[in-house]
Amino acid sequence: MTALAALPARSIVRAIADAAARWSDADFPARVRATQRVAERTGYSVPVVEYAFDRLFFSITQDALTATIEDELGGLEILDEFMPRQGRTEAWAQPAGNVCVISSRTTIGVGLPAAIFALCAKCDVLVKDREDSLIAAFFETLVDENEGFRSAARAEAWSSNDNEIPDLRSFDAVVAFGRDETLELIRSALKPEARFVALGSRASAGYITREALSDRPAAKAIARGAARDLVLYETEGCLSLHVLFAENGGHVSVTEFSTLLEQEIETANVEFPRGTAGNDQSARVAQARALAAFRSATSIPAPTVETPQFLPRVLGAIPVDNPAQALDYLQRHGVPLEGFAIAGNRDDVTALALAAGAVRLSAFGELQHPPLHGNHGGRPRIADFVKWIDKTF
Amino acid sequence: MNGAYRAEADALDAQILSVIRARRAENFDELALRIFAHQLRYNKPYAHYCGRLGVTLDAMPESWDRIPPVPAAAFKEAELCTFDPAQAELVFRTSGTTAGSSGTHYMENAQLYDAALLAGFYDRFLVEPSRPLRYLLFVPNPAENADSSLGYMMKRVAEHYGDGAPAWYVEGATIAFDRFVHDVRGLQAARAPVFLGATAFALVQLLEALRARDLDRFELPAGSFIMETGGFKGRTRNVDRAELYGALEQTFAVPQSSIVSEYGMTELSSQYYGAPFDVARRPSIPQGGSIPHHDNPIPHHDNPIPHHDNSIPHHDKKKVAPPWLRSYAVDIDGKKLPDGVIGALVHVDLANRSSCVAVQTEDLGAVVEDGIVLIGRERGAELRGCSLDAESLRVASR
Repeated sequence: MTALAALPARSIVRAIADAAARWSDADFPARVRATQRVAERTGYSVPVVEYAFDRLFFSITQDALTATIEDELGGLEILDEFMPRQGRTEAWAQPAGNVCVISSRTTIGVGLPAAIFALCAKCDVLVKDREDSLIAAFFETLVDENEGFRSAARAEAWSSNDNEIPDLRSFDAVVAFGRDETLELIRSALKPEARFVALGSRASAGYITREALSDRPAAKAIARGAARDLVLYETEGCLSLHVLFAENGGHVSVTEFSTLLEQEIETANVEFPRGTAGNDQSARVAQARALAAFRSATSIPAPTVETPQFLPRVLGAIPVDNPAQALDYLQRHGVPLEGFAIAGNRDDVTALALAAGAVRLSAFGELQHPPLHGNHGGRPRIADFVKWIDKTF
Repeated sequence: MNGAYRAEADALDAQILSVIRARRAENFDELALRIFAHQLRYNKPYAHYCGRLGVTLDAMPESWDRIPPVPAAAFKEAELCTFDPAQAELVFRTSGTTAGSSGTHYMENAQLYDAALLAGFYDRFLVEPSRPLRYLLFVPNPAENADSSLGYMMKRVAEHYGDGAPAWYVEGATIAFDRFVHDVRGLQAARAPVFLGATAFALVQLLEALRARDLDRFELPAGSFIMETGGFKGRTRNVDRAELYGALEQTFAVPQSSIVSEYGMTELSSQYYGAPFDVARRPSIPQGGSIPHHDNPIPHHDNPIPHHDNSIPHHDKKKVAPPWLRSYAVDIDGKKLPDGVIGALVHVDLANRSSCVAVQTEDLGAVVEDGIVLIGRERGAELRGCSLDAESLRVASR
């Protein structure tokens, strides 16, 4: 029996949404404290952290949570009792049990949606928190909303050589973010029947068709969106724009677009100032930026053989003649994709995104704004945290 | 090339040679700007780049450290020279790169390069012409690889300062360790001092090869030198340089004061060398400055590593330049940093008359009173969380 088992799902959803609403207020004391801590931990500037908090907490609404749960499970009440299902037997979506969310190395709050949906499924949740204690602070607000969360939602920080690492065999489901070797290590430590949601390292790409480069204002708007997708979170997130393709043959050339992109990156840098993150790569970044300026000045396009650099706030448009060339590049360099931004509605570009393994397609400027119900990593939001009980009599 | 170009180039070359021969560059600023103006006139890609940054012949920089440095990577993408590259006397190419292409440095004549090289080398090693050394070289042999600046460099110093019988041990992809052992045994018997020139990686391999032959102690004749260069770029393993130097001293009985690191680039004509003999010498660094402790992670000017004893623990990090080569560090936006603060190194090399006088590198370092402290290359980008582990990807995609 989990701590939230007796609480109606609707109450859980309301409490979570109410807590998120408090965190949506920039003056909420817990958020103010967390903002500074997160900025220090991540090295992001305060405006970037504020923006991330807004995007995160404004998206956690009662309607969004309810819609996601209804979509995946068929209804909210099915978390509370046996419910009829269309064309199927009655069933009860009971909590999977103990859930652990290991969110080390994540950018801001990536583990929170997983934890929230596990709580909605009435699981007992333990989150491996970061030094900024963001998740712990949010859980405290949850407890303020409903005392029932006190023993259901825990967040602790531990290091890999800490003696207090929980025994992963005690968990029924584990969500983990990290490198492949880390994920393999975690998987090997689980009990055989435990569910494992492994969210490995991913990047995102974008593709601009020649039709989308029809005129300068249109190209500028795309560049503005791409710049935002690039600079947010210092290009560290799986939905940050890491690789960009632009088709030759548009009214605006790829070289001209690159110049526009460079200008828009400078503008985005003003809106979202650089923090200290990425300072340890300053020489590479400075070199890459100078090289981009050199290419722009000399009308030399970025070579398609160049390995993606994955440097903070650095991006060059790679000229291609068609989606096949982009796919070849992505496969040649082994870029595992999460998101794919597209400018220009063409079936062959959608096919490219799917063939490249992307699980989220978006417009430029929206890449880093996944909705709460979005299937992060191509996974369901709540279905991993329930155990179905079928009633066949 | 027209007569005006030739006259201007020849006049500049004469002045640069004069600086090199005199080992004095009081007019460094003026000469650097004249060379830069020459390059704005005749080096089209560089001029376009500078123009984009707002620097033209009508809007010249005020001083040598305001000359826009070309990113070193641009040598992979354009023919950065003031003349027809088909007429180049020297052509050097960088080794393999992640971009899959190599950078090319075209030099109009060998005279400047050779003069800068030989003078800088002489000053560092205090070569005694009366007693030439035998050059034992673990660098690319120019006979096999004419594009290697390192190979050319060692060939020229060996021709100029050696005993006329240099030995090259890099043979394609293999290293002739047994031949080295045989050669050294002969030199030991003759008590003929040697100059062992090698990349750091080759030195590690050499030490391992000697150990495998039970030659833990393999003394070089007294008066020998070891020059280490090239670092470990692109290699899958790394060793601590202090550890390496200790092992070299132990194995070859060459005091660390005679083990010198060289820092050069294909894109430059001149070289830095490890600070001269005074191992315990302490550079002048302001209290609270940003020079890191040897074992500390890579620091940055916005996040300086506090240093505890105001010193650089090992002499190999400090590099000194000849008078015709100056450097400064820049931040992530390319802005010049104060001395003692770590950033990307920019070198202004007067001997680069026919290419680009100012080159921005990916090497981290800081300027100190009489040289630079070289920190090395940054580690690769690594993205967090559910994002890509970029360094792993880069390795996998090579």
